[in-house]
Amino acid sequence: MSTASRARGIPTTSPQRSHWWSRDPNTAPFLNPRARTIWYAVLMLALAVGSWGLYNRVFGGLATTDLTSTMPWGAWVAFYIYFVGLSAGAFLVSSLIYVFGMHQFERIGRAALLSAIVSMGVALCFIGADLGRMERAPITLLFFHWTSPLSWEVRFYTLYIALLIAELVVAIRLQKRLVRSVEAAHRTMRILGTIGVPLAIFGVHGGTGTIFAVVKARAMWAGGLFPVIFVISAMVSGTALLMAVHYWQARGAGRVPDRALIRNLSTVLLAAIFIDLGLTFYEFIVPLLAFEHHDQSIIMLQAFGPYAWTFWIVQMFMGLLLPAAIILSPLKKRTGALVAAAMICVIGIIGVRFNIVVPPLIPPVIEGYPTGDYFPTITEWLLSVFFIAGGALVYSLVSEWQPIHEPDPDDHAAIAADAGMPDAELRTEQETI
Amino acid sequence: MARQNVTIHTTRPSDTKPTPEDPSWAMVIDLQKCVGCDSCTVACKAENRTPPGVSYNVVVEEETGTYPNVRRVNLPRPCMQCDVPPCVSVCPVNATYKNSDGVVVIDAERCIGCRYCITACPYGARSFDFGGTYSDEMQGYTDVQSPEYGVQRGKRGSYTPPVGTVRKCTFCTHRTARGEEPACCETCIGDARYFGDLNDPNSVVSQLAASPRAFRLREELGTEPRVWYLR
Repeated sequence: MSTASRARGIPTTSPQRSHWWSRDPNTAPFLNPRARTIWYAVLMLALAVGSWGLYNRVFGGLATTDLTSTMPWGAWVAFYIYFVGLSAGAFLVSSLIYVFGMHQFERIGRAALLSAIVSMGVALCFIGADLGRMERAPITLLFFHWTSPLSWEVRFYTLYIALLIAELVVAIRLQKRLVRSVEAAHRTMRILGTIGVPLAIFGVHGGTGTIFAVVKARAMWAGGLFPVIFVISAMVSGTALLMAVHYWQARGAGRVPDRALIRNLSTVLLAAIFIDLGLTFYEFIVPLLAFEHHDQSIIMLQAFGPYAWTFWIVQMFMGLLLPAAIILSPLKKRTGALVAAAMICVIGIIGVRFNIVVPPLIPPVIEGYPTGDYFPTITEWLLSVFFIAGGALVYSLVSEWQPIHEPDPDDHAAIAADAGMPDAELRTEQETI
Repeated sequence: MARQNVTIHTTRPSDTKPTPEDPSWAMVIDLQKCVGCDSCTVACKAENRTPPGVSYNVVVEEETGTYPNVRRVNLPRPCMQCDVPPCVSVCPVNATYKNSDGVVVIDAERCIGCRYCITACPYGARSFDFGGTYSDEMQGYTDVQSPEYGVQRGKRGSYTPPVGTVRKCTFCTHRTARGEEPACCETCIGDARYFGDLNDPNSVVSQLAASPRAFRLREELGTEPRVWYLR
């Protein structure tokens, strides 16, 4: 705690920790020793296994994938849009706090921003690995083509990441009470968030949907509904991710997860799922009733093709229906059940992303061409494991280093709950200090 | 014949607009004359030394109807060199663009290999160079590459452009620059392919493109292809 903030009379409210692993008495541990050992061991193992995929990709090129000129995009593009979605969704949750003043979510604010940054980084790793010439990735910033949504996206992503980092830095400084004025910092957060909301919706994720929506050669991609669905399913996956992150981090650190927070987030999740279901309904019913034969062939493929299970089980059941059912059922009283719903949902949305990318590429563009056939190779899976584990590692290390998960210094109730003591007792203790 | 070094002047769209002196290349393919021998595909592969998985030209064989009322159409498909090319509009780095002679070209030194253009092409006319080679079945395959766009690229390496980039039919720019026809037109045994300048109203292609038999593929997409078929 700086002397400046003391002088200004900002209360120094963080409880003193007696845990030996806590380097900074103002910073709670990210994980307790046992959970930390297990967590990092799992990550290291995943990175070690995944590095084989990285090696193959770097030295074997894209020939190590199952991609062809008929199936030009696959798992890495699906994961790319998935992580862009996680990022945009997590950021939109943070904007509920910083822009729309829903302080019931305050607790998750910095975690949301960090998740958004890390997810975006993972997304860029995926799309970078997917480039035929990875070393030329930076030139996308040098040459601009205004009719290409991808060209706009590169710029939006850059702006978005810069904005997220700025917002997180302010939020962390605010948390540590390093800012000159709390009000000014809140205002900065609100301004950054206000710029960020349209950037995330229209620029980053709606824009990523636009990459697909402008491709008139491929049925089910082309159309104006597509970018909207992208944004809504981003909200679904982002909210679900934050529920899971908050719960497991709290458990790992030996704290009690904030039940009210998880319940509130589950309400947001449920609303997003309902909107997503509604849009999905329109997405399918319109081409079916219009007898658009190109669209219909893709819908048939999704619903009854060889990978129909990814549509029914992963996308519809795990991604949308089951989480909604759990949140609506009496199980919702149990925090664990809500978090299970969130985790199932996070995995289910991967199915949504795969079904966006793969099936529309399968039917030949001209009758008589070969039909596309694609299933990710071992290299594609391993590199995906590598990037995801890498993202989790970066997230963990930043959480160890900076106060990402701590309750706000002014939130006495939360701190008391954290420290396992009643609110009143804590206050007395602080007054004594 | 000694190998010629040809310089092809490709002009980026921002540099110059096509002038009336520029040729405006187009192709007309008579489906009644095509016998489906695939020699155009073979000639193209030999001329452009395309690797496995990359074919600038293919012949789609389509059979419709039920016996005995069956119709079979062989549809040779080069790049359509669209006047409103969807592949060009999606390229994030302007690596592919419409040349002043009407041909859609790719700058292999700039292409990042994102394959967005492949997904956007309604004709499936673009291929990604995964770095494959025929060296197992053909001696000296990697010794020399085709001088596409007039660029002498020398040996084919495992990671030298155009490996890792997108490739496509260019109407054999390196041949047209020295006054020759594209390889597929020259080799066609049925003389089904015509190649010429649309700017010349007396050229065969100008006249045939106006024929009542003429149609273009997936015209409803508004891509304005430069390849006409005669039904």
